[in-house]
Amino acid sequence: MKCNVDLTYAMIPKELKELLARQIAGIEHPRELVVDVMFAVQDHYGYLSDEAVEEVAELLDMSPLEVEQLATFYTFIYREPVGKYVIHVCDSVICWMEGHESLLDHLSGKLGINLGETTSDGMFSLLPVCCIGYCDRAPAILINKKVYGPLTIEKLNDILERLRAEA
Amino acid sequence: MPKIIIDNHEIEVPEGTKVIEAAEQLGIMIPRFCYHPALGSVGACRVCAVKFLEGPFKGVQMSCMIDVKDGMIVSTTDEEAVEFRQYVIEWLMLNHPHDCPVCDEGGHCLLQDMTISGGHGMRRYLGLKRTYRDQYLGPLVQHEMNRCIHCYRCSRFYQEFAGYFDLGVMQSANRTYFGRFKDGILESPFTGNLSDICPTGVYTDRPSRFFGRRWDYQRSPSLCINCSLGCHTTASARYREVVRQEARYSEAVNGYFICDRGRHGFHYARNETRPRRALIEGREVSTEEAIRAAREKLAELVKSAGPDSIACLGSGRSGLETQAMLKQLCQEKGWQGPSYFMDKSLAGKVKTAVSRLDPELAVSLHQLEGSDAIIVVGADPINEAPMLALAMRQAQRHGGKIAVVDPRPIFLPFDFTHLPVRPDEINLYLSALIKGAVDPQLIAEAGKGAAEFYQVSPSLEIVADSLQEKASILAQELRAGQKVVIVCGTQIVRETTPALAADHAQLLRAAKKQVGLFYLLPQANSFGASLLTGDEVSFSEILEGIEDGRVKSLILAENDPFYNFHDRQRLDLAIEKLDLLVVLDYFESAAVKKAQVFLPTSTLYEGGGIFINQEGRLQAAPKAYLGGISIAQIGGGNHPPRVYGRDIPGGEVRAAHQFLTQISNGDQIEDDDHTQRSLLRWIADNITPLPEIPPFDELAENGMRISSSDNTPPYFAVKWQEEKDKGNGLEDSLEIILTDWTFGTEELSSFSPPLRKLERSPCASMHTKDAARLGLDHGDKVKIKLDEGDVEVDVCAEENMASGAIVLPRHRLLEWQKIKSFPKFVSYEDVKKVST
Repeated sequence: MKCNVDLTYAMIPKELKELLARQIAGIEHPRELVVDVMFAVQDHYGYLSDEAVEEVAELLDMSPLEVEQLATFYTFIYREPVGKYVIHVCDSVICWMEGHESLLDHLSGKLGINLGETTSDGMFSLLPVCCIGYCDRAPAILINKKVYGPLTIEKLNDILERLRAEA
Repeated sequence: MPKIIIDNHEIEVPEGTKVIEAAEQLGIMIPRFCYHPALGSVGACRVCAVKFLEGPFKGVQMSCMIDVKDGMIVSTTDEEAVEFRQYVIEWLMLNHPHDCPVCDEGGHCLLQDMTISGGHGMRRYLGLKRTYRDQYLGPLVQHEMNRCIHCYRCSRFYQEFAGYFDLGVMQSANRTYFGRFKDGILESPFTGNLSDICPTGVYTDRPSRFFGRRWDYQRSPSLCINCSLGCHTTASARYREVVRQEARYSEAVNGYFICDRGRHGFHYARNETRPRRALIEGREVSTEEAIRAAREKLAELVKSAGPDSIACLGSGRSGLETQAMLKQLCQEKGWQGPSYFMDKSLAGKVKTAVSRLDPELAVSLHQLEGSDAIIVVGADPINEAPMLALAMRQAQRHGGKIAVVDPRPIFLPFDFTHLPVRPDEINLYLSALIKGAVDPQLIAEAGKGAAEFYQVSPSLEIVADSLQEKASILAQELRAGQKVVIVCGTQIVRETTPALAADHAQLLRAAKKQVGLFYLLPQANSFGASLLTGDEVSFSEILEGIEDGRVKSLILAENDPFYNFHDRQRLDLAIEKLDLLVVLDYFESAAVKKAQVFLPTSTLYEGGGIFINQEGRLQAAPKAYLGGISIAQIGGGNHPPRVYGRDIPGGEVRAAHQFLTQISNGDQIEDDDHTQRSLLRWIADNITPLPEIPPFDELAENGMRISSSDNTPPYFAVKWQEEKDKGNGLEDSLEIILTDWTFGTEELSSFSPPLRKLERSPCASMHTKDAARLGLDHGDKVKIKLDEGDVEVDVCAEENMASGAIVLPRHRLLEWQKIKSFPKFVSYEDVKKVST
């Protein structure tokens, strides 16, 4: 993956770790919290590094592999560094019928990256996602968990420009 | 019980039987990948599709997911089902590489079989194949993920069945990946089973990689002799050496699996260092010359000093034939012995275990899996007998409660309650737990003996405050359990414990519970050795004889006291003093190097043998191959020498019992079969509980349970006050506990190059409190003063063990043999930090 994101790793900050440990201690089956803990750590770093997987495992008394099994299963857990804006393009059937492919081609061309890649300025990452439940707004995409749709090439261009300007 | 018709054959099966299992009972093998009898059904691979013609289900369904119900009519050959399976195979083959010629699984690959039988012959998919990066998984298992068909057997075995969590399934859909979080050695000691259960070549046996196809091997049923459980194996030999060992199904003993120690513990039989030629004073001679030399020297000694100047030492790793021959010789010739145990107290404990193993109490590993409460006293399953831990896990998975009363830092791959108490407290805790678990009313009704025993037994009050809560919960759980098994070790426990375990099993029985008793013994055939042990001298008495000059010659039949005996100094002096040391063995032991006369014996694989496991199950292994030095060794990697001869190179090895006959009676030996027969005859006539031994192939599946109980009346008089007093005055001492590790301590497997890569370096475990008192940190080097010098070792500070103890592994890299007698205590002053 191409990116300029700083890869240096820091331990989870003490306050966050303590907060998570408290939450974990408060429930009967700690491993039920694993997705929440992964999200919390990901929100802090932007992605879930190998070391973060190990720390989450330690917090929840699981093996790193058990955490990895879940981390790699879920679309919204990023095991590699991602850009400032993560664009998930819905590739399920309704969006596909409404022009998902041309949308994706356009995004790819405009950003100069393929699915699974990040722009060299670290601004955008492009990822697929299966049905996000916005079939009524197809074709739809998610950018940093916010949904956009129904989209046209023009609307998409506007959105990208605005995001670039805001960054 | 419901009836079903499959392919026009009717069968009645128990409720809950799956259609795929019912078909198998009829001899119809429905294709399968994800289904495995030990792992159950998940319906993931879709290849077991059959057509349901009549009954509650209709149409094509997965036969592994549907229970047999009355009125079902099923066709496995229906056109629609056959076509369905053909498509399944085709899509499973989409990404599968065509690397069968270089794949070790080729030839015994389920995927190959199913592809052929499913009728998928022409490839239609022309796209790119999915590829993966493989991982390094350690010295035993080779990873090749491109071959994976996503059946999930590996992760289900590894995590659900065996309870380890460093291998599993990652990612999703078409990218699904089976492996570890990072490259590295697999943590489980059951990893070899991955190669057995993988339906294709994702996991293959690494040490024997590229050595042969299954059809190249001479495959024969064999036994594992790396612990006392006696698991069933299949030995694969080629070019005159055993190169691979796999699990062989045995319903009663090991089920479908074996541990890695058993799987890879056979290398002593093929190592280059294995002595193949007879030696006199270290000089290679012909076998006949060595036999003659031994015989003449023995005869001289008999003439000059009498027959009792000769003593014999056998062991628990020899087959029953050799053990019995030794006994026969001693009886006939008036020689001393044989002794099969290094230590009189160990011999006593094993004897007690064997004689108290009431046939109604003895349980197999399989039966143990079905228990709902297990109490383990003085045993460390994962280290002493790994397959026991796997069986206990199955009990725990079905809701069984497990308690371990043991001083060592016990790890087991499942939830259990550990009561870490000193060895002298084990009896008290066992008694207290069982007393808390039985209903006094039922005991009162059971008769006077039980009631009195119950009355005087210590109750939960003796339990230390810190363990009170745990112990009372445990007692309640035991009380609720209907099928209770007591697992009792024989190594670290006091001499009274095995009998006490039997007594408590009887007490539980009096309380109307279904009770099992399961002993662990020190070696594969300790049971046989014990049956043959009467009032012969112990090894320590033999040593006394040597010391005062009465005993002048020692015959070691497959025993290396330099590895096994705890007092090296005394042993060295005694061996020095001997006029004659005759050693018969099959690996390069320290004793072999000291022998005046050495005779190379055959291993289990070349000689076969009868072994009796710890539950009294008599089992036999036939020869796996004819013997001789392997082609690889004799040719030095090239073509073997072009020399013609009628003998097998290196074929001078013989069974130890044959050599024993020859050194005592004469050169002439009958053919193998005859000696075998007459030996078995002698055994059946002379060794009380042993019956006529049937031909080996009749013993192949589950062996034959023998009854060794001498009907000792239960409820012996324990002097409980003495038991309680034993702990007094021990506050300032640490007991040295010698223990087994899964890898690195067991004699035979310590010769295995792949297993040596898995050995941890030896360390002395002690409780963190003791370590703190000694000013030690985890990882510090420490010097422990034993009777005959110091032993230097790293410290492992552990929370989960008894205080007042130091646990030392009988590791091949640790010189622990400096102890005069057991139990051995050292004071805190005897343990000193070594500054580095």
